[in-house]
Amino acid sequence: MALLELVDVAKSFGSLKAVDGVSFSVEAGEIFGIAGPNGSGKSTLFNVITGIPFGPDRGMIRFDGEEIGGLSGNRIARRGLARTFQRETSFDGLTVFENALMGLSFGATKMPAAQAHEATAEALTFVGIDFASFGRLAGELSVYQRKCLMLATAIAMKPRMLLLDEPASSLTKPEIEASVELIRRIAGRGITILLIEHVLTFLMSLSQHLLVLNQGSVLAMGAPRSVIEDPRVIEAYLGTRRAA
Amino acid sequence: MSAVDTSTPSAVLPKAVPLTPGRVSWQREALALVVGFALLALLPLVITDSYSRHVLIMIFIYGVVASNWDLSLGYGGVFNFGHLALFGIGVYAYSLLTKLAEMNPWIALVVSGLIAVVAAVAVTVPILRLKGIYIILVTFGFAQLVMQVILSQSDYTGGTQGIVRIPTVTWFDHNMVRDAKFAYFYIALAMLGASTVFLRALVRSRTGISIVALRDNEEYAVSRGISLARQRLITLAASAFFTGIAGAFYAAYQRNASIEVFGMSLATIILSMVLLGGTSTIYGAIIASFVLTVFSESMADFGAWRPIITALLIIVVMLVYPSGIMGMLKSASRWMTRSRNG
Ligand SMILES: Nc1ncnc2c1ncn2[C@@H]1O[C@H](COP(=O)(O)OP(=O)(O)OP(=O)(O)O)[C@@H](O)[C@H]1O
Ligand SMILES: [Mg+2]
Repeated sequence: MALLELVDVAKSFGSLKAVDGVSFSVEAGEIFGIAGPNGSGKSTLFNVITGIPFGPDRGMIRFDGEEIGGLSGNRIARRGLARTFQRETSFDGLTVFENALMGLSFGATKMPAAQAHEATAEALTFVGIDFASFGRLAGELSVYQRKCLMLATAIAMKPRMLLLDEPASSLTKPEIEASVELIRRIAGRGITILLIEHVLTFLMSLSQHLLVLNQGSVLAMGAPRSVIEDPRVIEAYLGTRRAA
Repeated sequence: MSAVDTSTPSAVLPKAVPLTPGRVSWQREALALVVGFALLALLPLVITDSYSRHVLIMIFIYGVVASNWDLSLGYGGVFNFGHLALFGIGVYAYSLLTKLAEMNPWIALVVSGLIAVVAAVAVTVPILRLKGIYIILVTFGFAQLVMQVILSQSDYTGGTQGIVRIPTVTWFDHNMVRDAKFAYFYIALAMLGASTVFLRALVRSRTGISIVALRDNEEYAVSRGISLARQRLITLAASAFFTGIAGAFYAAYQRNASIEVFGMSLATIILSMVLLGGTSTIYGAIIASFVLTVFSESMADFGAWRPIITALLIIVVMLVYPSGIMGMLKSASRWMTRSRNG
């Protein structure tokens, strides 16, 4: 059974159809990639799935067999659907440790403080943040470290599915390679991943299924190899592709 | 943290990871609190005149109101400009409960705190979906509304005349009037102590951390399962309890209630304390209530110049040290450690 299923989901801003009748489903355990030119509606799609900050105008979104379309963002998160944001985001006034502790304390599994403490440390070490940094304010971290921290807070929630919005944007080459490796290890924990990315090679090396959005609609979907050979994809993508 | 580290982390965590990395441990903070309040408790031995004790009592009352405002404003980032109305509600709730309903003054103190909590919840519900300036508008409107209600019910509240001869708290058969404010001093100090322990325990807890998370990035916090509505209600309700009690105690101490507590001048003074002390610290607001009140008292000879000089001082401090007195103290302690370590 599909873990996440969307049927004819749409979201408009005034006359702009940002997401326009999108349907697809993600199987448990896979890494599912989403590509598309700038402004094609990728982030908006994440927003409506997670209800942050808004749900869809229309369509059905089912997670783990249950409709989540009308739920509030924090409820959806607690059901085990975690997300990251395109821009590296952190709670700047909190320490690195407290950032991750938040994921743990309000996510699907609520733990007593002592247990939460250990699990928090584990999530942070998992993404490569060492003990020496636990007490630093998150606002002091570098872009890459903040992206890792955002992943740690998501993992700390013990989600069933993780939605990653351009985890490699504004990173250097070695950092991108490290991110690919980290996402593999996250998938290795049994977390299903829905991955938005501009860098096509990034998606090609990671995902089992690939969907290409264009102007809010699904342009192509299927095995990554066949999708990138689709002439419509080549046209839409190469026309507007960001300089890598 | 190395820039890029993909190595599989070790399964074993070092035992030395403190419970609150980067923060003062709760044991050390508790010890500092006990020492601090013990020193304050010794003050009446040195300060024996009733006027100076009165100033200290007012500092404690202001300290409670300001530090509770720091919870919603500093930690929560909620511009609750109705905070002083919660204080005013405490004043009038106590006055009416003891005078009209003849409730025991001690019970009335606590009940007034609870009434302020109910009022805070009532004003939080309409602002849950609002941001920034709109929150200021609604909470400010709430304060005006409470004041208008009190003015309109002049049969009970005395309208602009206020309420006089309010029953005060009693301590067995101790004479509250002829002890040079000895008993009031300790009641006020106990109130400040209870409020401070409550606030610090709250902001150190996971609930307190989530309040800051929501302030720093609302969408991110929600995406980690934190409920905006629930945490915001907790924030405002928690900030109201001791504020209401402080209002009640103020009424019991002054033995009269007046509509002036809803005025801009008191709100401005308390807000200055929150900002001057350094937000999101709790202690800053308390220290600033001490500094500002003592400063203002010492300037008594300057007459009309007093508020102007005080305002200038606040502006200068805020320009040089935007993080306020607590920011100053932190840099001072860092500077001292550095010079000690060479
Ligand atoms: N909150 C909003 N209000 C109005 N328009 C919006 C909003 N969010 C997105 N849009 C518009 O919807 C369209 C899709 O935006 P979206 O951010 O989903 O694109 P994207 O595929 O994530 O692009 P990018 O690759 O640049 O991240 C864009 O035209 C954008 O301007
Ligand atoms: Mg985007």
